[in-house]
Amino acid sequence: MSEEINPKEIMNFLKPRMGARFKTWLSICAHCGLCSDICHYYLTSEKDPRMIPAYKVRFLKEILKKKGKVDRGYLQKVYETVYYECNMCRRCSLYCPFGIDIALMISLLRSLLFTQGIVPEGLLQTVENYKEFGNQMAVTKEDWVETVEWCEEETEEELVGIKLPIDKKGAKIMYTVNAREPMFYPQDIMEVAKVFHVAGEDWTLPSESGWDDTNLAMFCGDVKTARLIVENTFKRAEELEVQQIAVTECGHAYRALRFEAPTWLGYTPKQEVIHSVELFHDYIRDGRIKIKEKIKEPTTVQDPCNIIRNGGLAEKNKQLAEFLSQDFRPMKNQGNYNVCCGGGGGAMPMGGEMKKQRLQSGKIKADQIRETGAKIVFVPCHNCIDQIRDLSKEYDLGIKAIHFKEAITEHMEIPEEMIPKEDEE
Amino acid sequence: MDFYAFVEGPLLWIAFLTFIIGSLLRAALFFSFSLKKDKIIYQHFSLKYVLATYARWLFPFNKDVTKNPVFTILVYVFHICLIIVPIWFSAHIALWEESRFEWYWTAIPDALADWMTLIFLAIALFFLLRRIISADIRLLSTFSDYFLIVVVALPFLSGYFLSHGTVDSIGILGDNMELIHMLSGELMLILIPFTKLSHFVLFFFSRGATAIEFGRRGYTM
Repeated sequence: MSEEINPKEIMNFLKPRMGARFKTWLSICAHCGLCSDICHYYLTSEKDPRMIPAYKVRFLKEILKKKGKVDRGYLQKVYETVYYECNMCRRCSLYCPFGIDIALMISLLRSLLFTQGIVPEGLLQTVENYKEFGNQMAVTKEDWVETVEWCEEETEEELVGIKLPIDKKGAKIMYTVNAREPMFYPQDIMEVAKVFHVAGEDWTLPSESGWDDTNLAMFCGDVKTARLIVENTFKRAEELEVQQIAVTECGHAYRALRFEAPTWLGYTPKQEVIHSVELFHDYIRDGRIKIKEKIKEPTTVQDPCNIIRNGGLAEKNKQLAEFLSQDFRPMKNQGNYNVCCGGGGGAMPMGGEMKKQRLQSGKIKADQIRETGAKIVFVPCHNCIDQIRDLSKEYDLGIKAIHFKEAITEHMEIPEEMIPKEDEE
Repeated sequence: MDFYAFVEGPLLWIAFLTFIIGSLLRAALFFSFSLKKDKIIYQHFSLKYVLATYARWLFPFNKDVTKNPVFTILVYVFHICLIIVPIWFSAHIALWEESRFEWYWTAIPDALADWMTLIFLAIALFFLLRRIISADIRLLSTFSDYFLIVVVALPFLSGYFLSHGTVDSIGILGDNMELIHMLSGELMLILIPFTKLSHFVLFFFSRGATAIEFGRRGYTM
């Protein structure tokens, strides 16, 4: 990687990507400032004008104007803005009178930086892992399959007849997880298996790569790897002849597979992509899962940007929380217009280099949670849950952040025949 | 032909044609680029979400109204005056009637036009001051942001002076107010397709495209 930036390379990357929308947005932005107090970075930086979303995308206009003649120092400034000051949550897009999609321009800038080898260390590592192992955490196939088998053994004692079917051809649903589940949180896999078992679902887990649905390449502008990841998942679904691909409680995985994949692949895969929130919601709504006793403590629910604003599951997310709670307390702006927690867009896996900004920009979320007085926060996203747990420590919220499946497994009715017989003790 | 005749004749034609053809071209360019590079708009096209977003934002039924009510309402009033006064002011209609087109339509009362002009100018002044005073907006602003407020305000200011003879006593200004009025109006028309003022047409494309992007997620923005 040379220190010199080749302007031609920059322009060769940008030009074919400057579609009608980007061009229009750069030319009509009225610089009205209505996007300013929408952004959690602006609101948590004592309203620093440099945090106004419309200001953050000035780089794109400048680079085009300079015909790509920029240096590495300049690109470093771009890096700091597009990674340290934006989670690409798209809240500002909803408030712009012209519908200017600022996050999409930030995304383009990240892709541009990627072509110049400027990528956060934490994200780059995952990209390398995807390419080599097919998942972000370098889990081998043997380890993955062993973990699933171990999960089955562990849960057998709790639910009679439970199975974690691997590579079951013709199952209705292929369930995919976040690679950190087999690595650090196998209970997540056990919990979903219990939900599936009680709901009587016909499901399977793929053994080959494609089981990790996360797509951090999307956040660092590596479209090639992003495509490879979704391709893997759809390939497995094709081989296993399933109808649906279910996504664990992870936000960006859902967005990548459901909304971005068709663009990357150039065709719309025939398998339906469904997020856990929707799946669990429908199980309870349809009576396939019955809630024995609702949670008594006050609860609230996080609206992960990639499931709610960018995933369209606002209603089901809130209803699912209500199904499980006696005392559900919505956050201010609950739903599509909710504020980002500060952990999205790759901020969480970026690790230490992002921690300061992450905790600072998350203050709005911390305040929102505190205002509800909730003791339990449902968080259907892996990035959000880590961030909210960190926020709870940082701002002393005294809350417990949990995935929906944890609450469901604890509070669902277990059919008589699935309860292990006591006399065998 | 003297300068006055040029301004009220050929230049007026040039201004209107630049405005109309330029705006149509901007729209055509959006189509031609988007067909190649923004296929997503067409793959997920939904008239329902497009019309719904227009309704929300052409009328004050959107989130910005609740978030920033004062500024947003001023923006609406500004735009209403900007569109209504030039088209429905009686003296303008009289000119259309005298023209080769002999077009005629009902005017708004002159007193209303006066008030709308004054309100428009007051809001324009507020926008200008806001840009200068607010550190936020100042940082975002480019030369053209300031300049265009002046460009848009000038026809209204000169129009008001012209119909009321406010500055007639000031020699050169008083003598040439009609010329200043026409020139400033023509300048505005000519600049529309080439500046952010083109949002009067591109608003519909930009909003529509983003509404489709969120509409495919199942909701109206």
